[in-house]
Amino acid sequence: MALLMIRCGGRRTRRVFVWYALLAWLMLVSTSAQAIPAYARQTGSACADCHAGSYGPALTPYGMRFKLNGYTDTDGNGVKIPVAGQVTETHNVPARGESSSALTEADLYVAGRVSDQFGGYAKIEADNIGHDKYNTRLSNLDLRFVAKEQKLAGKDLTIGVSVNNSPGFEDPIAALPSASLLGPPGVTGTLLNPSSPNAPANRVIGATVYGLLDSSWYGEMGTYNALPNSVQDRLGYAQSGDPGRLSDTGYFRFAYMKDLKRQFFSAGVVALTTKRQLPRMASKDDLTDLGYDLSYQFLGNRQHIVQVSYVNILEQRRYGNELVIPNTPDLVASDRANVRDQTLSVTYTFMQSYGVTVSHLVNTGSHDPVRYPPYGDPDTTSNLMSLYWTPFGRDDSWTSRANLKLAATWFRFTKFNGRANNIFGAPPGTLVTNAGDLNAFTLSASAAF
Amino acid sequence: MTTSFLRPNPCRMAAATIFVGCLLVSSLVRAGDAAAGADVFKTECAECHTVKQGRNKKGPSLFGIVGRTTASVTDYSYSDALQQAHWVWTTDKLHGYLSQPAKQANPGTKMKYSGLTDAKQLDDLITYLDTLH
Repeated sequence: MALLMIRCGGRRTRRVFVWYALLAWLMLVSTSAQAIPAYARQTGSACADCHAGSYGPALTPYGMRFKLNGYTDTDGNGVKIPVAGQVTETHNVPARGESSSALTEADLYVAGRVSDQFGGYAKIEADNIGHDKYNTRLSNLDLRFVAKEQKLAGKDLTIGVSVNNSPGFEDPIAALPSASLLGPPGVTGTLLNPSSPNAPANRVIGATVYGLLDSSWYGEMGTYNALPNSVQDRLGYAQSGDPGRLSDTGYFRFAYMKDLKRQFFSAGVVALTTKRQLPRMASKDDLTDLGYDLSYQFLGNRQHIVQVSYVNILEQRRYGNELVIPNTPDLVASDRANVRDQTLSVTYTFMQSYGVTVSHLVNTGSHDPVRYPPYGDPDTTSNLMSLYWTPFGRDDSWTSRANLKLAATWFRFTKFNGRANNIFGAPPGTLVTNAGDLNAFTLSASAAF
Repeated sequence: MTTSFLRPNPCRMAAATIFVGCLLVSSLVRAGDAAAGADVFKTECAECHTVKQGRNKKGPSLFGIVGRTTASVTDYSYSDALQQAHWVWTTDKLHGYLSQPAKQANPGTKMKYSGLTDAKQLDDLITYLDTLH
């Protein structure tokens, strides 16, 4: 039986890692705007047709259909260059530490149709890593083949294949964490949550087959494999975030959705199961994510839009490694554990331009004093509130095929490492960090063109 | 004979009154609310059509649609089915077309629309479309 030892100095390393992970998560969320003007040019549609607030990533039912159709819909008026760009400037005010302003992200999208059956989405992202240095990486990838307007038992059927690098990103409802870019942060997390340490997101490659029957019944299944470390490195990813060696990986999704024009609702289940070796020479851990998601949209005449989604993902773990701390042989980690990620998000949009998003993010897990020092509880609770304005991207605005997003965002942590106060267990007389010290306020401006 | 025809006849007068009355009622029923129709347009049509002249989406611009012949927007690629339809989009034609699935109204069309069954919304929508000139 393999032993994975945590050295005494590992706790400090872990603390630093947690800080970096949180910063990375805050930057991910603060710059999570996604807008693909290349699609608007291809279809003649306005940004607001696919995104309630004229800026992504949340999708309207029309945007979902565009994604399901493999990004191939067009206005039929010639070939359009499938390239778009986005830049984001952010002023970050952390509760502890110095404020900073920087061009935090520059993105290149290669996105659009190749033919009536082939289309895709690829995002190449350059992230500011400090001192005006940028790390360029391949972010999300989703290449599709689709057969539209098929019939099954007299019902409309769309079937397709997606080759993508992030389980859940390809989902049309876009409520799952990889697609919504909204997953609870914490010291642990589920496979389907891109905010989890060593999450598969962007570091795997897989293929799924999907079908939509009668515009309502959606099913998808597929498999993924972790990219070799050398490939991850070439794609811009540090080895520390390696998802490990994955085998026997299966992804399953089933959902019912109903577009009532003025309203939309969906209910779905999702599963991701794999055997993971992390590090790659370690024994195999059995991991299975089982989740469900509910979403509702009030669209009306698009003057007032409300979007609500709730996602609950339970991860069941059976560890292949026995984890102990030296000199405390009686303290052995459990070989079974559960982790749960929950996200409740509500967005109100006025005139497809002014919006407010409030999210409640909860990450919980089984008590384990070895795996989750110092208290043995990994639980993290956080909130995100964002106010934004998108002046363009509507049919009646100056331009409908490019946009600007100005946002003010607050991040609030009420619990981290299972505690509200002294979250890292600092001894008396040393600097204590409370959950509230992780809070941050950001002002951001994103331009998509 | 002619004199007899011009002479007031109570039966003919009653029939004419009923006929004119029916026409008036029919036109009043069809006369929708253009402002309400604009809202219907946003809900039912705006994802695939604009009302801006010269700007197409997945569907052609609907500016000036009432009175237009089929497949007449020059920079839009129509389906063969609509190119061969050769009809004029009158309010009556629009009423019939939009009240049923598009593929039933014009088999072979590219348009994906399940039809608008709410009579008032349909009247409002067509009244709104009729203002787009």
